[in-house]
Amino acid sequence: MSTAYGRQPGSAVETGDAPAPPRSWHAWIAHPAIRTPALTAASLLIAFCTWQVFSTYVFNPFLIPPPLEVFRTAIPMLASGEIASDVAISMLRVMVGFITGSLAGVVIGVLLGRVRLLHELLDPIIELLRYLSPTAMIPIAVIWFGIGEMSKYFLIFWGTFFIVLINTTAGVWRAPVTRQRAAACLGASRLQIFVLVVVPSAVPYIVTGMRVAMASSFMSIIPAEILAANSGIGYLLQQSSLLLQTNRIFVALLTICVLGFIVDRIFRLIVDKVLARYMSFVSQT
Amino acid sequence: MLRVTNVRKVFESVRGSYVALDGVSLTVKDGEFVCLLGPSGCGKSTLLNILAGFEPVSGGNVTFGEAPITGPGRERVMFFQDAGSALLPWLSVEENIRFALRVRKMPKADWGGITDRYLEMVGLDAHRGKFPAELSGGMRQRLQIARGLAVEPNVLLMDEPFAALDALTRRRMHKVLLDIWQRIGKTIVFVTHDIAEAISLADRIAVMSVGPGSVITRVIEPDLPRPRDLADAKVARLFGEIEDLLTPDLVRLDERLEAH
Repeated sequence: MSTAYGRQPGSAVETGDAPAPPRSWHAWIAHPAIRTPALTAASLLIAFCTWQVFSTYVFNPFLIPPPLEVFRTAIPMLASGEIASDVAISMLRVMVGFITGSLAGVVIGVLLGRVRLLHELLDPIIELLRYLSPTAMIPIAVIWFGIGEMSKYFLIFWGTFFIVLINTTAGVWRAPVTRQRAAACLGASRLQIFVLVVVPSAVPYIVTGMRVAMASSFMSIIPAEILAANSGIGYLLQQSSLLLQTNRIFVALLTICVLGFIVDRIFRLIVDKVLARYMSFVSQT
Repeated sequence: MLRVTNVRKVFESVRGSYVALDGVSLTVKDGEFVCLLGPSGCGKSTLLNILAGFEPVSGGNVTFGEAPITGPGRERVMFFQDAGSALLPWLSVEENIRFALRVRKMPKADWGGITDRYLEMVGLDAHRGKFPAELSGGMRQRLQIARGLAVEPNVLLMDEPFAALDALTRRRMHKVLLDIWQRIGKTIVFVTHDIAEAISLADRIAVMSVGPGSVITRVIEPDLPRPRDLADAKVARLFGEIEDLLTPDLVRLDERLEAH
């Protein structure tokens, strides 16, 4: 207790009468504009060094190739456009499935949130189907759609749809009754209350659902491409594995990390630009 | 004229039924300021919800003018205690008013004038571009009032609108509300559990008993000039009188809670 609440070295009690000490050398790092990027860089650097040391001196470098080795492999793959074309094809699949899945999820989610009978009829089915992850659906998707683009679109759609749907329905339900009643008093029709009050109130829930679905899409596309594709990042992983090219596997894995991170940032940026006014009150009731 | 005749309200739930109101009668004249006063759980908000048309009655009837009240109607606007959740947080101050004018189908040419008029009336014209989250609690409540007035209702139904504000802001809001009421002459039904608030505002105070089966036990007419100062002897006497009226009920409420 005394450590937590009592005297601490450098506390105001001790330095109160003394002249202000010179700014210490590390004061600049407290500035948030410097602090966050600096610590992020430090974090990456530490990870990088640890990886380099362990893969060189502790583990078999063939099983865990050192980062410098991985970068050496990555450069020609980047230069030749090999990675870019795999990224492009995987991204296209994710986007098509994600956008169609989100649209369907929002539309049906909104209806389920509003039409009680529809919800009562469909909810049991949804509650069962949502446990079928996209990965579980790969075998049947291949039989239905072959290994062409359609099977990947379907799998991403499948994963996105249920997440967005469930979040949208929850958001519609939680539109504050007070807000709807207030609008009714002012003269809003049922349709106006729905379109102008309930749906905008659900936006933060919908966006959250979409963000989770986006992350899940990135996780689903890889197994889908490993098992049923002849292009994309998953396919690159699969081929490198067959040929025991661990360097190339690590390049593919790093690509997935970076890609997911970038896409999430872009998604947040778009939300901030377009939907900020619907998001800023999330902490309120 | 707002007329409540022998209203009964029963809430049904899985745990059984609860009689909230049992034979409440009240008549509110046009332009009158009536406070419904009572401790928590006396069914005063339930009565207000019935007047707003949010809840149907289980017995008796409520009419506005000649017509029975069956749902929310344009002539009666409710003002909620939680202005933050009654407003549309994604719209600015000005846009919240425009929203009301839009759903009320006011001619678009009048929007600018009406918005200016009511924002000025509640003293928010300097903040028209702000969002509700950027306003203080008192300002949010003033915005809710401006928005409700903008659609020009006959009756304002106010559900403890100032209960969540600090004492100073609350007193200022009383002044604002009385000013507006004296200027526009609308009917106001104002729910509160605060005796001082009821005395400083109302033409008549309807005191309600604790439920189940709440009724209006007495209607008091503080026939005193406004502003009513609590330090004034007559006002203080009225305060004591109402307090004495409510105390047995509060004691009974305590005993019942202890018995559980």
